[in-house]
Amino acid sequence: MNARRTFAIARRIAEFFRRDRRTLALVFVAPIVIMGLLGWVIRDQKPQSSTVAIVNDAGSLGEAARTQIGGQATSAGLTYREDITTDDAARQAIIDGSIDIAVMIRADSTGPKVVVLTEGVNPADDAARVGTLREALAGAFGGQSTPVLEQQSIYNESGTFFDAFAPALVGFVVFFLVFILTGISFLRERVGGTLERLLATPVRRQEIVVGYSLGFGIFATLQVALVLVFVLGTVHIGSIGPLPEINLGLGVPIAGSPLLAFVITLLLAIAAVNLGIFLSTFARTEFQILQFIPLVIVPQVLLSGIFWPISSLPGFLAPIARLLPMTYGIEGLREVLVKGSGIDASTVQLDVSVLAGMAVLLAVVATLTIRREVA
Amino acid sequence: MTIDITPAIAVRALTKRFAEITAVDALDLDLASGRIYGLLGPNGSGKTTLIRLMTGLARPTSGEVRVLGTRMPNREILGRIGYMTQADGIYVELSVWENVRFFADLAGVPDEAAAADVLRVVELYERRKTPALQLSGGMRRRLSLACALVHKPSVIFLDEPTVGIDPALRVQFWTYFRQLAADGATLVVSSHVMDEADRCDELLLMLHGRLLTRGRPAEVRAQTHVEDIEQAFLKLDQP
Repeated sequence: MNARRTFAIARRIAEFFRRDRRTLALVFVAPIVIMGLLGWVIRDQKPQSSTVAIVNDAGSLGEAARTQIGGQATSAGLTYREDITTDDAARQAIIDGSIDIAVMIRADSTGPKVVVLTEGVNPADDAARVGTLREALAGAFGGQSTPVLEQQSIYNESGTFFDAFAPALVGFVVFFLVFILTGISFLRERVGGTLERLLATPVRRQEIVVGYSLGFGIFATLQVALVLVFVLGTVHIGSIGPLPEINLGLGVPIAGSPLLAFVITLLLAIAAVNLGIFLSTFARTEFQILQFIPLVIVPQVLLSGIFWPISSLPGFLAPIARLLPMTYGIEGLREVLVKGSGIDASTVQLDVSVLAGMAVLLAVVATLTIRREVA
Repeated sequence: MTIDITPAIAVRALTKRFAEITAVDALDLDLASGRIYGLLGPNGSGKTTLIRLMTGLARPTSGEVRVLGTRMPNREILGRIGYMTQADGIYVELSVWENVRFFADLAGVPDEAAAADVLRVVELYERRKTPALQLSGGMRRRLSLACALVHKPSVIFLDEPTVGIDPALRVQFWTYFRQLAADGATLVVSSHVMDEADRCDELLLMLHGRLLTRGRPAEVRAQTHVEDIEQAFLKLDQP
C-alpha cells in the first residue's frame, strides 16, 4: 500500500467537501435537524390529555372499583367522564371522539377482569394513553393483585400493530419513491441540456409540468395499485417441491374503500412529482437530490403522524405538520382504511381537497421554476 | 416577383449583462435568409449568449432581437427555429428514433418521413433502434443535429456542431448545410475553430461581446492582411 496514493484519495475527498459546501453543510446540519426533530417529537411531546370513561358491569364490587379507578385516573391527569355508564355509550363516545379510552370492569367465573377499549387508529398513540391508565389502575388496586387487563379497540379490532401502520406506510413509500424519481429525472433535464432544448421548441412550461405529472402519474398509478394489492391482499401458495409454503401479500384487513385509498395515494404521488420538479431547481447533481432526503422526507416521516399523533407534537411543530402533504395523505388513508370512512366523512373530504390543492399549488410552483432563462 | 427584404434576424443595440460581465455589448446585426454565417470567436467571447438571446432563451438587458420579423422571445416562432446546443441535449436511454420523434412532436411535425429523412442525412437511419447511450460521441453529435433539424426550420443555430465529427462526415455536414441555405434557410454556425470559416458565406468575428468585424472570408483576410483567421483575431484585437 502506497501512502502517497492513499492520501491523495483521502485528500481528493476532503477537497470535494471543500468545493461542495452544500454537502459539507449537510454532513453537519442533517444530523442536527434529525436529532432535534426526534428530540422535540419524542421528549417534548405534549402530555396527551386523555378523557376516560369507566363502565361497571360487575355489580356492587365493581362499583367500588369504579370509584377508586376514577379517583386515581383524575389524580394521574386524566379527565374522567362520570356520566358515561354503559358499554354502548362508551363505545359511541370513542367513535365521535368525546373520550379516548373506556375502562370496562367485568366479572366472570375466572374472577374480575378489566377491559381497556381504545380507538385503534394509531397504535403508538393508544399505547401511550394506555400506559398512563395502567399507572392509575395499579394505584387503584393497591397491593391487591391487579386483575387481568384485556385491551380492545374499536377499529382494526382483530388486527395487529402492523395492520394499523400499513396505511400510513403505503403513503410514505409512494411519496418517497416518486419524489426521488422525479427529482433526479428533472435534474437530468436541467443539467443534461435537454431542458434548454425543450425550451427552444414551442412547448409551454405548463405542458412540461403536466406532461411530467401524466408520465410519472401512469407509473405512480401502477405502483400505488401494486402496493395496495400487495399490502391488502394475500394469496396462499402451498409448498412446491423444496420451496416452503408462503403467503404472498400482507393481507392487512381494511375497513373502507380501496378505491378511495387509491385516489388519496395518487394525489399524494402527484404532489411528490411536482415537489421533485420544484426542488430539482436547487440541486446541481444527483447527489444533491439525495440530500433532500434528510431535509424533506425525514421531517415528513417524523411529523406527519405516522408514529406520533399531530395533537401530541410540541407547539411549534404542529403548524409545520399541517403544511406537509404527507400529513393529509396519512390521515386520509387511516380514516379510509382503518376507520372505514367514505367520501362523505368530513375528515376525508378535507384531506382529499387539501391534497388536491397542494398538488395544484406545487404544480404552479414547479412551472415557475422552469424559466426560459436557465443559464 | 417581390423580394423580401426583411432580414431573417435583426439585432438592435443588444446588450446582455451578467452581474459584472457584459457578455453581449450593444450589438447591431442584420442576417439575411439563404446564407450561412460563421459566428467565430474565442471561448467566452459571447457566441453562445448571443445565440441564446436570438432564440429567446435568454432575455436581453437592453435592445432587441427580431427573428423572421417577430420580436423575441416568442414561443410561436420557436417552431421555425432549429437549435443545436453545445451539450448534446439528447435522452440517452431513448433510441435514436425515439429522440428524433420526440423533438419532431414538440415542434409539431408528426410525420415519420421527416424523421427518417433527417436520420438518413446524418447517417443514423440504420442505427435508429440503438439506444443513444450506446452511440459514440460523434454519433451523438449527429443525433443532436438531427433533433435540431427534423422540423425543417427556417432559422438554424448550430453551436459548435462539428466538434467530435470526423473529417469525411464534416464534409457531408457542410454539403447539407449548403443545401439548407439554398432552400432559403438562415444558418448561424458558431465555432472557435477556424478551419470551417471558408465554407461560410460571411464571417462574424466576436470578441468581448462585440462584433469585431464581418465580411466574406476573403474580405476578412484582405482586411487583416493575414491568411489565417486565427491570426486575424490576434491582429484585430490590437488596439
